[in-house]
Amino acid sequence: MSLLTLHDLHKVYPNGTHALKGINLDVKEGEFLVVIGLSGSGKSTLLRCINRLIDPTSGSIRFAGKDVTQLSGAELRRYRAQIGMIFQHFNLINRHSVLHNVLYGALGRLPLLGPLLGHFPDELKVEARRHLTLVGLADKETNRVDALSGGQQQRVAIARSLMQHPRLLLADEPVASLDPATSHSVMQYLEKINKEQGTTIICNLHFLSLVRRYASRVIALRAGEMVFEGKPEDITEAWFKKIYGEDAEEVEIK
Amino acid sequence: MPKKSKSNKGERIRRTLRQWQARLIDVLLGTYLALLLHRIWYYHVILGTPPPPFDVGDFPLYLIIGGGIFLVLNFLKASPATLIHAHPEGRRRSIAVHLWWWIGISTILTGWIVTRVSVFDLFSTEGLQGARRIFSAIFSPDLSILWQGLTAIVETIYLAMMATLFAIPIAFILSFLAARNLMQHHPVARLIYSLTRLLINFTRSIEPLIWAIIFTVWVGIGPFAGMLALWVHTVASLTKLYSEQIENINPGPIEAIEATGARWIHVLWFAVVPQVLNPFMSFTIYRWDINVRMATVIGLVGGGGIGTLLMQYQGLALWHQVGTLVILIALVVWVMDYLSARIRAALA
Ligand SMILES: Nc1ncnc2c1ncn2[C@@H]1O[C@H](COP(=O)(O)OP(=O)(O)O)[C@@H](O)[C@H]1O
Ligand SMILES: [Mg+2]
Repeated sequence: MSLLTLHDLHKVYPNGTHALKGINLDVKEGEFLVVIGLSGSGKSTLLRCINRLIDPTSGSIRFAGKDVTQLSGAELRRYRAQIGMIFQHFNLINRHSVLHNVLYGALGRLPLLGPLLGHFPDELKVEARRHLTLVGLADKETNRVDALSGGQQQRVAIARSLMQHPRLLLADEPVASLDPATSHSVMQYLEKINKEQGTTIICNLHFLSLVRRYASRVIALRAGEMVFEGKPEDITEAWFKKIYGEDAEEVEIK
Repeated sequence: MPKKSKSNKGERIRRTLRQWQARLIDVLLGTYLALLLHRIWYYHVILGTPPPPFDVGDFPLYLIIGGGIFLVLNFLKASPATLIHAHPEGRRRSIAVHLWWWIGISTILTGWIVTRVSVFDLFSTEGLQGARRIFSAIFSPDLSILWQGLTAIVETIYLAMMATLFAIPIAFILSFLAARNLMQHHPVARLIYSLTRLLINFTRSIEPLIWAIIFTVWVGIGPFAGMLALWVHTVASLTKLYSEQIENINPGPIEAIEATGARWIHVLWFAVVPQVLNPFMSFTIYRWDINVRMATVIGLVGGGGIGTLLMQYQGLALWHQVGTLVILIALVVWVMDYLSARIRAALA
């Protein structure tokens, strides 16, 4: 069953940059879809359009059978709450504790006043601890997040997104600022969520070795256009040159 | 082909605009120089008497003579404004440069006369005696009014504190409205942003001293007027400092909290506020420190506290008492300065 359908999606930024030029994409429930492409090719723009952090200029987005292109206000928030997002720079709230950062993932379904007064229901805390255990950070819940390593911070971010009970997880170069070993560990957590909870994942990646290892399907963007769509093993040398340019060399990440 | 002629046309329009701009500048400069030559050089320097009061009716005369001559020079390409954007040679250049010198020297001379700078007064025997009197009095303070002075300066410190405290919540709210990065997503938001900025800049452009004069008329002489004056100015200053801080935050956490489907208020509270809280406290303490100093000055125009007391003793020429107060003020300002620096360092 298809979870997400993009139809002829365009994004033109106010400064005139045409970042997406008619993207058509169908994402099935349970896929691990990886988006590759040079930096500046439009990968981040694509993800931000999907959860409507930025508004596409034209085209349509369907999610779970519903057109979400024009949603606004409370409906838009309810839509976003179903989609987790993970960022290259983690984007945690630095001065706050690990547990609180995870709890903020539930803000989308909490009432107005409680969180402002620092009140989060006990059952949410129990749930947050469960997600922290899943990403191997059970003993860190009282630490300030800025005292953690990069890999640990990204795992906190994953736990935060799990608080949303996401049907879809967007990951924008989640391992681009991590070292190779840590990268694999973070990717394995995403894989685990994908396999065990059936959460659909769309992930922007840089390294082809990671793509081959984790993706169930790959698309490639080049200057805002989709230039490749297929299985990771279908990315041949020729395709590689087409996506990354003639001079590109493949780098391995073990 | 049509493209090229269009760009030529644009270039021509720009050149014409520049020409008219230069003519306007020359006319203004010529009028100005004519005014100074007549009223400063002719009366003050040559005749040695102040000129008669300025009559608006005379203005066209200065305009026609001074502006006219400069306009003619402009057409001859030997005027001051020509020098700015063109590179005249020889005689023309020399005339333009000379005129700039005349304008500059006349301006300084005018400043000298307007502020009545007199080296004679500064170093005359009488003047030096006065200076000695004040300084010796200040260094032999009358300690019998120490208690009175302390009471007044405590009033000043509290006044500054209240003005700062009352300013915090209002500045806090306004600063979000005055932060460009938070207010650019919607036309109505952009309008609110511009209006808030306008209000803040207007309020800030009026010095606390002038606010104090306004409020002494409004609510009467005393600490309340001083507090209100400081409060208004502090709201504006803190809003500006706060909002600049908000504009410099990392947008990443905002995106992350937004992506969870959180309400806008929650985004502000959890993604923006934690990033700005410490700098805000830092600014606020710095501002309190400034306010203690300003409260002293505001007291001079009737805003209460130690300034008002200082004014009274100064009016009675009781220099030993003035000395006590000056030392007290210096002490408090120094302590506040030190403490606020320490606290801010701890917050950083
Ligand atoms: N906020 C923005 N305003 C204007 N242009 C932008 C903005 N964000 C991205 N772009 C431009 O859009 C294009 C795609 O950027 P992005 O989606 O960030 O690419 P990627 O994530 O693949 O590196 C780039 O040319 C980039 O400069
Ligand atoms: Mg990117």
